[in-house]
Amino acid sequence: MAVLREFWHKKHLYLFLIPTFALLIVFSYYPPLFAIYNSFFQWNGFSERIFVGLNNFTQLFQDSRFVNSIGNLLILLCWNLAIGLSIPLIVAELIFNLRSSKQSYFYRLMFIVPMVVPGLVGTFLWRFILDPNVGLANLLLEAIGGAGWRQPWLGGTKTALISFMIMGFPWVGGTSVLIYLAGLQGISNEILDAAQIDGATGVTRFLRVDLPLVMGQVKLMLILGIINGLQAYTSQLVLTNGGPGYATMMPGLVMYQEAFQYNRIGYANAIGVITFLVILFFTYLNMKYVRSSSEYY
Amino acid sequence: MAKQSLKIRLKKMDIGINIILIILVLLTFYPFVAMIFMSLKDNPQFIHARWVPTLPFHFENYSYAWQAVGQYVFNSIFVSGVSAVGGVIFAALSAYVFARFEFPGKGVLYMMVIALMMIPGVLTLVPQFLLVRDLKLLDTYWVLILPYLAGAQPFGIMLLRTFFEGLPHELFESARLDGANELGVMRNIAIPLSMPILGTLMIMNVTSTWNDVLWPSVTLSNNKVKTIVFGLWGFQSQYYTSWGPLNAAYTISALPLLILFIFTSRLFIQGLTSGALKV
Repeated sequence: MAVLREFWHKKHLYLFLIPTFALLIVFSYYPPLFAIYNSFFQWNGFSERIFVGLNNFTQLFQDSRFVNSIGNLLILLCWNLAIGLSIPLIVAELIFNLRSSKQSYFYRLMFIVPMVVPGLVGTFLWRFILDPNVGLANLLLEAIGGAGWRQPWLGGTKTALISFMIMGFPWVGGTSVLIYLAGLQGISNEILDAAQIDGATGVTRFLRVDLPLVMGQVKLMLILGIINGLQAYTSQLVLTNGGPGYATMMPGLVMYQEAFQYNRIGYANAIGVITFLVILFFTYLNMKYVRSSSEYY
Repeated sequence: MAKQSLKIRLKKMDIGINIILIILVLLTFYPFVAMIFMSLKDNPQFIHARWVPTLPFHFENYSYAWQAVGQYVFNSIFVSGVSAVGGVIFAALSAYVFARFEFPGKGVLYMMVIALMMIPGVLTLVPQFLLVRDLKLLDTYWVLILPYLAGAQPFGIMLLRTFFEGLPHELFESARLDGANELGVMRNIAIPLSMPILGTLMIMNVTSTWNDVLWPSVTLSNNKVKTIVFGLWGFQSQYYTSWGPLNAAYTISALPLLILFIFTSRLFIQGLTSGALKV
């Protein structure tokens, strides 16, 4: 009763939540439930569903396209996490160590400006750079090491995946730099002074003082990096469609092709369910084992 | 003596850092600068000297490109604008309630919102498509705007709740004592103090919806409603050999965001460095 009375007393508060939850129920809660349900059926999106139990899942792990895509995904994910966590942090540390606030602002601005160029345009520009015949990458390689150094890049079975790793060089994500910089600027002057008195400078200070104190930011980037990385496939869809062979196939791309080229909705949804379970697992690991920033104080 | 040598050492360090950062800036910018060079070339110039600027500049490439993608630019401005503004308003209303009040079900409702961040697009793309198909929304602006509004909620609510909770309690108490109602307190106290973070969130929403290719690629087939970035995908396969206009179209696709950025960069940098983004 008391709960009901409190609910009634504070009913106006729920009005604020209505727009959000109305949208979420239709466009965010219903679709994943519908997808999980569909993953147990064979369905083309139009006619009758046929219940197949776990068949879609067992079939997936015998599908060489999907099995290949997992390997590719893991390689790209590890690479992107390593690059995406470290390089922005190093750049943020460099900017943090500048004594002139004008210079510091200039670099913050410079690294954030490329954000205005759509990611897809960046992908297309990198395809120009990696063009096997007239691309800048091969021009430079030929100038250094002769014609033998030229690479087929996106067209070669062995180089296609590497091409996706090279894209975006030198990988300074402006948003990440600013988020790290926020962490560094949050470190109190007393701590920095104490570190200096104790003789901790340069790399020692970075490892012993700065790094532990920006763990909150590192953890955020790690979670976002894993969640985004597990479902990345736009560049592959646009540039290679998974080829040559299955060299750049991604689980998300298998899902896309199954759903929108072959109309196999249940099979496509099974891939979504697996991705979701993997994200759930990583989130659990993250919450259990990665310490939060507040625990350091 | 010792003092001076420290000064010189610090100065040397500054110069070293500047050199590294300048090199990184140049490498980061080169592809985009090359894009602008390429957008001003005709085909012979493109084939002979792709990676350096060549004279004369062919500005007519831009008028060709604009004829092809101009409509897409307006579509994107409308869709991203409505989604970003609406998304931030709805998220702010919810975040405000979560940050400042106790009510039955608060914890559960908040967890339900945050849990959505774990649900991947790979899982929802297909059922969302089936949903909007059955709602007869395909090839309309709404097919983009409604899911974008919903998609902006979890991260927006998390970010704004953290920020609102950090605002000093005394301000709210004194406003309430002065007789302001809840909406008044929010409008006059919370919102003005939160402009940098609200602006940051809005820019993040604009860029994420502006950049989206996957959702438009399954829900839009009519040129009248296509967004610019999705439109470029079709444009580049159709005009694969008209290099100049193609790169001009790429450049055009970045201009609206560049203009937005020029007016909001200070706010955005302030918002991102405010320290609210961590776990």
